[in-house]
Amino acid sequence: MAARRRFGPMTGRRASTTGRAALLALLAVVPIVAVVGVSLTAAGLQSVGLMPFIGPPQLSADAWTSETGELIRSSVTSVYIAAVSTVLSLVVGFMLAAYVLAMHRMGRIVETLSAATIPIPHVIGAGAIGLLLSDSGFLERLLGMPDAFPALVSGPWFVAVIAEYAWKESAFVALVVLGSISRSVGDLCDAAATLGASAGQRIVRVVLPLAVPSLAVSAAIVFVYTLGSYEAAWLLGPTSPEPLPVRAVRLFTSVDLAARPQAMVTALVSVAVSVVVIITAVLVLRRHRSLR
Amino acid sequence: MYPSFSPERRRFLLPAAAALALVLTGCSGASVEPAENFGTFDEVLAAAAGQTVDLWMFGGDAKGNAYVDDVLAPAAQDQGVTLRRVPIADTPDALNRVLSELQAGRSDGSVDLIWANGSTFSTGKQAQAWQCGWTDLLPNMRYTDQDDPLLLNDFGTPVDGCEAPWHKAQFTFFYNSDAITDPPTSLEGILEWARANPGRFTYPGPPDFTGSVFLREVMLSTAGGADQVPLPYSDEAFSEYAPAALQTLEELEPSLWREGATYPRDEQALNTLFADGEVDIAMTYGPATLTDLVGSGALPPSTKVLTLEEGTVGNASFLALPVNAADAAGAMVVANIALSPEQQAAKADPGTWGQFTVLDTDLLTPTQQNLFAQLPESPIVPDYEELSRNAHGELGSEWVPALNEAWRQDVASAP
Repeated sequence: MAARRRFGPMTGRRASTTGRAALLALLAVVPIVAVVGVSLTAAGLQSVGLMPFIGPPQLSADAWTSETGELIRSSVTSVYIAAVSTVLSLVVGFMLAAYVLAMHRMGRIVETLSAATIPIPHVIGAGAIGLLLSDSGFLERLLGMPDAFPALVSGPWFVAVIAEYAWKESAFVALVVLGSISRSVGDLCDAAATLGASAGQRIVRVVLPLAVPSLAVSAAIVFVYTLGSYEAAWLLGPTSPEPLPVRAVRLFTSVDLAARPQAMVTALVSVAVSVVVIITAVLVLRRHRSLR
Repeated sequence: MYPSFSPERRRFLLPAAAALALVLTGCSGASVEPAENFGTFDEVLAAAAGQTVDLWMFGGDAKGNAYVDDVLAPAAQDQGVTLRRVPIADTPDALNRVLSELQAGRSDGSVDLIWANGSTFSTGKQAQAWQCGWTDLLPNMRYTDQDDPLLLNDFGTPVDGCEAPWHKAQFTFFYNSDAITDPPTSLEGILEWARANPGRFTYPGPPDFTGSVFLREVMLSTAGGADQVPLPYSDEAFSEYAPAALQTLEELEPSLWREGATYPRDEQALNTLFADGEVDIAMTYGPATLTDLVGSGALPPSTKVLTLEEGTVGNASFLALPVNAADAAGAMVVANIALSPEQQAAKADPGTWGQFTVLDTDLLTPTQQNLFAQLPESPIVPDYEELSRNAHGELGSEWVPALNEAWRQDVASAP
């Protein structure tokens, strides 16, 4: 992006380079499109009864129409969890990045700690958050409030689920932001400081605008990821309402084979919501770039 | 920022992917025939030599794992069959694997034997995923009672020789004797106790296996006893007996742990609440594990088993053989070994696993009977005779998803 701005409008030579790059990327993209295509086709066929485990295939929209109310409730729950987790991850992630940029020695330590958070599997993270936040967990014992401790795990607001995602994903956001701006931000901040900008002003006027594109990209990734992930919501969420992935897995593993089409419907709805979010994010990004 | 494709190329990619998808999914629905049929057990033994049997079973029970690895597998090795335990989180996972492989037309399936029962069995039977009629070949079947209802029907689904019995289980409540000095003696009593002691009782949320059993027990109790509800599922029977149970549970909700706003995920989650002193009564379909749980300190030493006057539900679990198992003969040999009096007695030892035998000990020789007579008693769990007093069999498996779904709609999702 920076390169393009520096060299001005695309020349013919550049266009052919782009073509060659696309050809190379084809090797990676074709298998992905094939796998996603096969799974989506299979899910679509199963959702309308054309790929049954038992009996002859029979076209039917029952799975799509039978539990619309619950599907909507699940979608709303999932979008709520994903939206709150994304906002928290962005805020915390940006603050982490700003801290790392500002504090040289402590920042390095914080950066290493954040990086170390990322490879921890979500299910382990969820287990740890469960031990920390549950009614008789570590925090409750530490604070010694057996009767007044709020229902964070399995509570109605999915607090523990969101805490797990926010914790893991904020580290991811921080690393993406740092990776994309750390080279350019130093000089600009120095210049701003020379002109008399305070630390707060430098963060808001220099670091934040530079970080917006990477924040937007990571917001889309975090949103889609949390929308589709199962472990934390299953382990730490309440019995009802059910987020989309939990509902999909429950229906998919149901002993009643007739529930398979509904599982596929749930999965496809989850995909549809994600696609909408990705498209919105791409549009917003384009818009942002054209503004500059 | 990202390489983007020209519209032409995009137009080419989508049909290509769709075509590939159709090719790959087009082979579904192929039917797989059982590999071979055996006339005698000697033929089975001959075919089994050198085979490796993959036994897919719930991997969350350390004693069960140790029994299979240290007792059953060496015995199978002696007869030339290697037994490999494949741990899974949930039994339907194994059936899902079989169904997916059947759908893909694979005849050399990776699952040879599944520790199954109840809904998994009936789902598999519905999908014709099991080999049937092979248990008659097993010599050790002669030690079982031919008329034992628990071995003839698995949750109301006729067994038809599609799975070999493995052990019996009895649904059991247990309580904290420090907190409850005068324990209730019936299921109705338990619910009354729960109402009188708000926040001190809960049950795992169905479709969890244990929570689902509790749900059915409540229905039998509100119907006036186990003999009132017909075992086979029908819509009429459901609308006659289920509403009372659901209403009872709905009315019970405010008295439950967290006022019923949520339910423990599974039996382990309930055990954690019990161990942390958040609830005083818990339940399990595997009372064999209690001795160990108390011994290791996972449950408090004040844990005591609660036997109900009207009895609780019991069932047998089985080893089922998928229709496309690659090592079917070896699987039959393992199932036969697992049924031998020596293996059944070893497994019944609380120190090993503590699972109740499926054999009829009257049919055994005095030496074999002695194996069972010598078993040490558990300090926590009474013997099978006492636990299974007034016991009843499971309802037909179709009751299970129907009740689970109704519970989720009426009780769990209620505002």
